[in-house]
Amino acid sequence: MNKESKIILEGDFGIDSRYKSKIDKDQDSISLLESRLARLKNMNAAQIIDAKLIQLKLQMEEFMTVQNNELHQKFVLFLKSYIDIFYVKQNDFAEDINIQPNLLSKILNHHREPNDEFIQKVMVHSEKAFKNINNYSSTIWYYLYYHERIHNSISKQNEWRPEIEKQVKLTIIG
Amino acid sequence: MLFWRNILFIGINKNKNSINWNIYYIRKVEIIELLTGRIYIVDILPLEKSDYKSLTKSRYFFNWKEELEFELYKLTIKGHQDILGLISFEKYPEEWRIHVRLLTVSIENKGLNKMYDKIAGNLIAFVSKIAVKEYGELACISLRPKSTLAEYYIHKYNMRLTGATLSLEVPEIISLINKYDGNEQGK
Repeated sequence: MNKESKIILEGDFGIDSRYKSKIDKDQDSISLLESRLARLKNMNAAQIIDAKLIQLKLQMEEFMTVQNNELHQKFVLFLKSYIDIFYVKQNDFAEDINIQPNLLSKILNHHREPNDEFIQKVMVHSEKAFKNINNYSSTIWYYLYYHERIHNSISKQNEWRPEIEKQVKLTIIG
Repeated sequence: MLFWRNILFIGINKNKNSINWNIYYIRKVEIIELLTGRIYIVDILPLEKSDYKSLTKSRYFFNWKEELEFELYKLTIKGHQDILGLISFEKYPEEWRIHVRLLTVSIENKGLNKMYDKIAGNLIAFVSKIAVKEYGELACISLRPKSTLAEYYIHKYNMRLTGATLSLEVPEIISLINKYDGNEQGK
């Protein structure tokens, strides 16, 4: 067996990478941080944006998969994070998706629910933004929004049910 | 096509005052059976207590019980119990870093005659995703292979050597995630 095959054979099954001592770990931390900081200075804007987009995508996916009782206002929080990746001013995002800045402000401040058209515009905008990221489905914005709404509606039955029950009856005909 | 690769199933078990959610966001994580070229969708899930009985040193090379106190995940073909790969790691949030402690594939997936390809790569990509999800553009994963193996990891995963430690950061960590999340070429 040649040297290259031997390396593949050994390397492919895995590694024991555990630190043998705290000194080992501490030395590693220092040298790694030094070299990483030097590299960070050379990171360009596109690389930072890609990293932030993947971070947002993974956070949204996690939100959809984990049982979560803290669903309130997550859609808006994710939307704010998304806007912050690209824009200094929220008005510029409103202009890019052709809506009134006032409407965006109301949605972000929970004074108005986003309608279908708004979510569709976010979807199409995000498809352009995520063009360098594999395995991204813009439909996640719809799922996020309705995930939150369904959960809120069902979990708040104690609040809406008494009044609704007063209004609803089943009239048997005949 | 993209939509079907990301199907969302929502099931709601509703009681009057509480709900149970069964939500599965299916991501495209695959391994390849080398003999047939067939692609299998895999799950990467936390190891369960019941798994420990099957984790023999003869099949998985290390004593995995020593890793109980750390984060420990298994890779299986979707819907199957048999564990094909394992990874344990430790987070260092103050350094925006995750250090891989142990990584292995099962013995039949070792070397030139292995059954499936991309097991170790998918596990490394999985930890990379956790790092990026938590630390964004500062994300870093690290590992310390034997010096003879460093070359292999540098070549295969585009890792960088600092002292005795290999690391993966932005932009290479993004390329690796894209590669294992999509096509082989990445973007």
